[in-house]
This record gives sequence, C-alpha cells and structure tokens, in this order.
Amino acid sequence: MVDMSFITNWLMFAAILGLAALGGMFSERSGIVNIALEGMMLMSACVTALVGGTSGSPMIGLIAGLVSACLLGIAHWALTQFYRLDQIVSGMGINLFAYGATNFIALSFFKPEVPNQFLPIPVYFWCALIALAASWFMFNRMRAGLRLLAIGENPDKARTTGIEPVQVRLWALVFAGILCGLSGALVVTNSGGFGDNLTAGRGFIALAALILGGWRPVSVAVACLAFAAFEAAQIQFQGSPILGYQLPAAFWKSLPFLITLIALAGLMGRTKAPAGLGKM
Amino acid sequence: MRPLSPGVRLGALALTCIVIVLIALITSGANPAQVLTTLLTDSFRSPTAFADTLKRFCPYMILGVAVFWALRAGLFNIGVEGQFLMGGMTGTVVALQAGGMGGVLLGAAAGMVAGAAWALPAAWIRAYRGGHEVISTIMLNMIAFQLSNHLVSGPIMDPDAGFPTTRTLGPQDMLSGVPVGQITVNWALVIAFGLVMGFGWWLRKTVAGYELSVVGANPTAGSFAGIDVKRTTFAALLASGALAGFGGGLQAVAFEGRFYMGFSTGYGFDALGVAILAGGNPIGIIPSAFAYGLLQQGALAVQTLHVPPGIATLILSLLVVLFSAIRYGKVRHSNG
Amino acid sequence: MSIVALEGITQRFGDFVALDNVSLHVRKGDLHAVVGENGAGKTTLMRILYGALTPSEGRVIVQGQERHYRSSREAIADRIGMVSQHYAIIPELTCLQNLMLGAEPGAFMNLRQCEDRANVLAEQMGFTFDWHARAETLGPAGAQKLEILKLLWRDAEIMILDEPTAMLSPRDADALFESLRKLASQGATVILVTHRLPEVIEYCQRVTVLRGGKLIDDQDVQDLAKAQLAELIVGHALTAFEERELPQGETALNVQNLVVRGDRGNDAVKSASFQVRKGELVGLAGVDGNGQKELFHALMGTRGFTGLANLNGEDLSGRTTRDRLAAGVRIIAEDRHAEALVEEWSLSDNAVLGFQRLPSFRVGAGINEATKAERTRQFIAKFNTKCTSAGQAIGSLSGGNQQRFIAARALGENPSLVLAFQPARGLDIDATRAVYQGLRDACSQGAGALIVSFDLDELLEFCDRILVINGGVVSAPHQKERAEIGQLMVGAI
Repeated sequence: MVDMSFITNWLMFAAILGLAALGGMFSERSGIVNIALEGMMLMSACVTALVGGTSGSPMIGLIAGLVSACLLGIAHWALTQFYRLDQIVSGMGINLFAYGATNFIALSFFKPEVPNQFLPIPVYFWCALIALAASWFMFNRMRAGLRLLAIGENPDKARTTGIEPVQVRLWALVFAGILCGLSGALVVTNSGGFGDNLTAGRGFIALAALILGGWRPVSVAVACLAFAAFEAAQIQFQGSPILGYQLPAAFWKSLPFLITLIALAGLMGRTKAPAGLGKM
Repeated sequence: MRPLSPGVRLGALALTCIVIVLIALITSGANPAQVLTTLLTDSFRSPTAFADTLKRFCPYMILGVAVFWALRAGLFNIGVEGQFLMGGMTGTVVALQAGGMGGVLLGAAAGMVAGAAWALPAAWIRAYRGGHEVISTIMLNMIAFQLSNHLVSGPIMDPDAGFPTTRTLGPQDMLSGVPVGQITVNWALVIAFGLVMGFGWWLRKTVAGYELSVVGANPTAGSFAGIDVKRTTFAALLASGALAGFGGGLQAVAFEGRFYMGFSTGYGFDALGVAILAGGNPIGIIPSAFAYGLLQQGALAVQTLHVPPGIATLILSLLVVLFSAIRYGKVRHSNG
Repeated sequence: MSIVALEGITQRFGDFVALDNVSLHVRKGDLHAVVGENGAGKTTLMRILYGALTPSEGRVIVQGQERHYRSSREAIADRIGMVSQHYAIIPELTCLQNLMLGAEPGAFMNLRQCEDRANVLAEQMGFTFDWHARAETLGPAGAQKLEILKLLWRDAEIMILDEPTAMLSPRDADALFESLRKLASQGATVILVTHRLPEVIEYCQRVTVLRGGKLIDDQDVQDLAKAQLAELIVGHALTAFEERELPQGETALNVQNLVVRGDRGNDAVKSASFQVRKGELVGLAGVDGNGQKELFHALMGTRGFTGLANLNGEDLSGRTTRDRLAAGVRIIAEDRHAEALVEEWSLSDNAVLGFQRLPSFRVGAGINEATKAERTRQFIAKFNTKCTSAGQAIGSLSGGNQQRFIAARALGENPSLVLAFQPARGLDIDATRAVYQGLRDACSQGAGALIVSFDLDELLEFCDRILVINGGVVSAPHQKERAEIGQLMVGAI
C-alpha cells in the first residue's frame, strides 16, 4: 500500500509546514502573534515564480521571494511595535494585502510564454532540517535564543535587564519572513506555477502545528510530520476505501484542524503558550 | 532613538500606502484616475449594479455587527466566514424543505442556529478551557470550507446542475422587498439596519452592554465587579456566531435563493475590516459596510479596464491598517 | 571623594517637575539610603543614575568622570547595577538563565562554565541555588538573593536597590542587610531606596532625604534619631494616629476552618478561623505570597473555598460576587491596573464598576445617569482625587490619585465589609492617614474591615487588632506588639 510517492509527498508537505511553523515559532516566541504566515508564504510563492521566470535564474527568484516575505514580516513588526496595532488586526491586514497583491501581480505580470524556473526540491528539505537543528541550538545554547525566550515570556522584565525587546523582535520577524518565504517557494515549486490562493490555508495548518507542538522546535516538527501524513494519505487513499469505508477527501483535509481544536480544548494535555505572547 | 511624533509616523504610513497603490495602478497600465473613479462609482452606474451593491451591503452590516459584538468583549471572531457559510447552507436546505413564507422564517432561524452551533466549540474552548478564539475559529473556518464544499458537491447538490449548487428557491419562497424607484429594497436590508441600531442602543445604554464592554476592556476588573466573565465571554461568541449564521440564512432566502460553491465571496473576512473601520461606535458599521460594498462592486468593474480585481482587496487591507494605526495612536495619546 | 556624584539634577515630564535641582554624593563603601515618601522622586533619581532616564538638567559623575548615559547598557558598563522594586526575575526561565540574561558570556554559551562561575559567586555570598530549577520555584527571599548574584555576575560595584525589603519578612530583611554589609566591606557601594526608617537607622552610614522632588537633607546617619528623620521626610511633625478603645461591636465576618485552594493545587489558606467585628479595623500581617490574595479572592467570590464564612449571619458560600457586592462586600484590590480599573475609561464610567447591578444605580435595563454623575462627584471629593473632570481617562491620573478614587469608591456605597489590599499603596503619609481615617469612619457606621499590608509598621499604627498569616495559617498574636508578630510572620513560634 505505502509506496515511494506517499513518502515523497509526506516529506514534501512536512517541509512546507515545518518551514512555516518554525518561522511562526520565531515570531511568537518573541511575543508577536503571527497569523500572517499564510500571507508571507503566498507572497513569496508568487514573487519566486515571477522573478525566477523573468530573470531566468531560479536562485534570484528564490532570493526575491524571501525578500518579499521578509518585507511583510518587517511590516508586521513595524505595525505592531511602532503603530501599536493589534497583532491580530495587523496579521489579518497582511494576509489580505498578500491575497490582493498576488492576485494583482499574477494577472498583470505573468506571461504564459515565459517558462517557470525553480530550484530542485531537495534544496528545501535540507533548509528545513537545518532550520530545525539551528533553532533548537539557538534556544538552548545561544545568547540570541535566550533573549528571544526572555522577551517572549516577559518583555517588561527583560527590558529591565537591558534587553530591547523591539530590536530582538525585528530580527525574529526577519527570520520568520525567511522561513515562511522558503515554505512558500517550495509550495510554488511543487505545483509548478502560481495561481490565486496557491497556499490554500497551509499557513494556518502550520499555525496549528505550532500550537500543537507547544512552541518548541522538536515537538513542532513532530506535529508537522503528523499533519503532513494526513495530507499525503488523502492523496494516497483518494477514492480507495479503508476498512470498507470510503472516506471523503474533505475528511482528511479537515483532520489537522479537528485535532488542533481538540488540543486547544485541552483534551490532549495542555501546552503552554509563551507568557508574554501578545504583550508589548 | 527619539520616537517620532505621531503626526510624522502616521504621515509616513499613509504615504507608504498611497505609494503602494499608485505603483500598482501605474504598473497595471491603466489610467489611475479612471480606475479609482470606476472603483468608487460603478455601483451608481445602473440599477442592477446598485442592486448588486445592496446585496453585499446587507451581509456586511449583519456580519459587521457580529464581529463588533465579539470585539467589544475583547474577542476576535475570525470565524464569521465559516459561521456565515454554515448558516447559508443550513438555511437554504431548510427553506427548500419547508417552502413559502414559513420556509423563509425557518431558513433564517436555522441559519442562526447553525451559526451559533459553529461558534459553540470556539466559545466553549475560550471561556472554559482557555484556548485562544482566534486559533479555534481559524480551524473552524477551514473545517467549514471543507464540509460545505463536500456537501454541496454531493449530498445536497442539485443533480441536474452542472456545478456544485443546491436547487434554487422559487420567488414565492424568498423574502421580497419594497420597490423604491428603479430598484427593490429587500426587507433583509431593513432588518440589517434595525440590527445595527438595536445593537448600538443595547451596547451603550444597558447594564448588559456595559458589562460586555468591561469584560472586553479588563476582564479581571470585571470579575471583581461581580461580572461572570466566563459566561459573558461564552455568550458573546455564541451571539456573534448566531448573528453571522443568521446573516448567511438571510442571504440565502433574501438574495441568493440557493447555496453553491462560492456562496461567500469572503464576506466574513471583509466583515472584520467593516467592524474595524466602524471605529468605536456601532453605528459606524453602516457607512463602513457601504464602503466595502461599493469597493467590492467596483472591483468587478475595473476588470473591464484590464486591472485585476485584487486591487480592491489590496486597497481595503491598506485602509484597515491605516485606520487602525490612527485609532490606536489616538488612544495611546490620551493616556499620555 | 565621592564615587558617585549627581549634581543639580532636574527632571521634567511635560509640565511636571519630578526632580528640582537635586544633588547626591555617595562615598565608596557606604550603605547610602535615599529616603522620602512615594512620589518624592527617589526612583526617578536612581533611574537617572542607572541610565534609564536622561535628566533634563544636571551632571552625572561616576568615578570622577562626567557621564551622559543614553541607556542602562552604558551604566552597566560603568559597573552600576540596579535591582528594581519589582524583581526582574522571569519565572519561566531557569535560575541560571535568569542570572545570565542580558550579560551572557558571548554569542554562544558553554552552560557548564556558566554554572561554575555561578557557583563561585553563590559561595562567596553563602547562598545555594539549584541552577536548573525554574525561577518560579523561588520565594521572594530567593528571588532577592538571585538579584544580588545578578549584580555580582555583571561585576557591579555600585549597586542600587529600590525598596529591597518591601516583599521580605523581618528575618529575611535582616539577612539581606548582612549580605549588603559584606559586599560593602569588600569594596562595593550600595545605594538603598527605602521608606522604612528603622533599617536606615540600623544599617546605613549616610542618608539623603527627598520631598516633593527637592533635596531636603543630606547627612550622616549616626547624628539622627528616627523621629527627626520622619519629620524631615514628611515636612511637618507627625502626631501619632489617635489610639482608641477597641470597639466591641457584633461580629460582621465570621470565618471558621476556611480552606482555599491555590493555583498550584496546594492549600493556600489552611483552615483559617477568625472574626471581624463591626467597627473594627483588623490588619492581616504577613509576607507577600502567604495566602493573603487567595483569602481575599475567596471572600470576594472570585475563588472557591470550603469551610464556613458568614457575613452578618449569612452564609457566603454559594453566593456569587454580584450577590456579595449587593450585600456590601467591597474590595480595594491588590493590583489597581489589573483588578480595579478600566484605565482608558473616564472616572465616571469607572465609578459604576461593581455597582452596575445595584438597584440605586439602575433604571430599567439601563444605568441611572443621575446617580452615576452624583456618585462620581462624591468619590472624587472624598479623598480629594486630583483630576480635570469626571470625563478624564482614569489611566491618565497618577497612581496615588487612582488609589484615592478606588478607596473612595470602596467606602462610598454603604459597605458592610471592606477587604483592603495595601490600601495605602502609592500614597504619601497624609493621604495614607486620610484613607485609614476614611476606613474608620466607614466602620463606625457598621462595617468591618480586613486590611492586608506588607508594611507591619503601617498596620501597627492604624489597625485596632492584628492577625498574622504565614504559609496559609492565620494566627492571632497575644498582643499588638512588633517582636511577637515578626516571629509569627516567619513561623518562628
């Protein structure tokens, strides 16, 4: 039953979710709620495809995609830290902006005659693994990680020890932008071209994995692997009955969200959010 | 680093927004002035266009109230989109079964129940389990998309239709309206106006409204002031969901007459913007909902100028951000 | 020569002058006290020395060099350290992480080396720590010790401590001063901000007195008596608060075998039994975190309890907070920002808070606007809250003025039991007296009051009777006498 295509699909979806979820972790560990993962992914997917195709260089395409996602991350930072916008409002605004802007860019600039150019998919697998290892190391053995944890738990007290939360958050959101950008680039590479709402809510699944994993790198990675397995299973078992029942695709697609709801209700043991999440 | 004065900061933000919109308009190759005029005035071009605008105006008002209600209790009901969809779907199915004026009433009521049911897990998780409502409602939205798409392309699909939709209600099974000049003002619009006004009165004048606002502004102080914070939170999210579902049911029996894939063009997400642009006063929902209806109608029309419809979403997102920045800036200023 | 010299410091916030031409000279190796009432400018002055504020005028001279600090980071580099009144310990991090935070050895951390150094510092002071335990396991005394080690970790030689004993029991406070003496003898200089005069007299070499942002006096401690110092601080001679006969009213609050469950599942209040009679001010002495908060929440109805609690003969268990408010239970909450006010709202909207369901405040489904306006006026007048209008956002008032308004609100609407948590927090001595006088007046009309304060002297001065809470156990001393109560507070009896 389980064949190679299942495994490759599984790893692919896991990398997409994992990159975005780790990006979200940097943001939320610094105290900034980030529902804009989806928007950053979408923007990067669009720009990566457009610039990669028109410049003829997939590398330049990827870099442009990452920059675009970082710009959205920096916008989220500026809006929440300087303009004191509610973090949900800002995140929602960025998602809407990305949706509108990518629709606009796709319809205005994509030319069917220019072929898309992408980096090979394994590049992204390695990026995901490195991101996971690096974030673990950072939280446990590096000054930057300690400061990130501190401001995420209690920005006021961290400030009195001489740390400037606003500065730490800037690079946390740049990191979030890079990782979500990679995730979005992988989505568009996998699909072969950009289309409206291409990320299709994967940013929200990543957010779910982040919460399920309790904002800790390894647990988040495990949650991503589990969610990715559902998505791969949905492709694998499409149309074929399991134990005599034909489960609709909608069921498999809903499963990550359902599990997250159950986890949120505290029915699977509680995970603790950073205490300073959402605070200035 | 000395902080910039609020005026300079907001000016810089406004300028950035304007520049982004201008760049978009110029690169699209169309005449910016013409695009903007079309965006803002297309609704008044013809009676049909105006009727279409009203068709959006109505759910924007109702969903705007739904979001505002929860927002006042300090809750972000991102789930209005899913609640609206579930309300619309359930309302249609019930109205199709019942038929006639009874079907209209039952349909709207069923929509309300469905919306409340869809908000129930989020309300319970938030009030009694401490899970954040933003996350749970996002999850419920995603499940609502999957469920409604699945049902409308199978179990409740009209077998004779070539695409995912239910059967259509006959005119006698739908809510009518009063003709005003060349257009018909549906009773649903009157109901929506009434809802906004009634909610505004309730919020500002009643003890229950005061307590809702206390819970939103400072829940701990609320519990010391004898307010059952959990119950208020639970009720607020449930009421918000019920309203959103009611909006969906009403949309089905008053305007759409059926449920189909694409029933909502993102009304629920836009409604978050409607509520934010309304500012601190619920009555502000009326102009803000109208502005949304206007721009979304214009978004369809600018396509004739070869400008993608995403321009409207882009402009609206910038407006919401800019407006919130101005509001938050003010609040902060008054606190010194 | 002075190791620290602040000369002619003036600090303005808008139109408000927090410090007016204040100078401070500190000798190396001294324990130097800076005393004054709340709002005298002590903390502002220290924040300037620590680089957290830039003075409007004046010179900061450290080790003979004039300095212009733009951030605390630069002051830390000059070996200045500060422990603020609210500890900067983050409970979710481990003790070791807290120790290093902000002064890590480098971009990458070798945890073993860090722990070794931490142990050396701890040994030097005679402390022991489990470095990998979360800091939330530390009590107030442990947190204070960790704060002192943080100063040593940063090689601080000039140490500023803001109200370091506010959260400590008398015994822990004595231990702290022994540690500070030891540090001073090793060459450190300690600047101590406090309003507790006995510790100044007993431990410090020199004292600077501030009042209303002005320098009042600067002299050696050995020449001073406590009464003299108190007079310098307040600006006029203080007469003792009028002693009175213990009123023998009927029992207002009767508590028997009350048990309250704490956040961590432990019993925060263990089988407490006591009475508060009508007309009586009962002080509840104890170190913070010994169950005071849980006891108050249980009596207020925001936390469950088992056992018996009767108010004027009526059982409180099963009554909601709303019912208890209607029965006249009032609270002056511990944390005014979080528990007592909606800061963005006007004074008049805040005046309704807690009374919104009382018949006198209602007409039909709505709020009685006439009553609301009338009560707002009364509350403002009662303790002389300074504000521009009843429509002003209450968050824009100073902390002391907010506290006056909160106290007036709690005493304004026929209370039968007042639960006051640090009612004098943020108030100067005159306002403190006014609030306690207000409590007495309210009680003379039939209410009882239970008052928590971490300042034993305050309770001894103003309350009729004192109870002690330690580790959730409530006990009654034989007499209203300092030594015995101090012993009870740490469970030494």
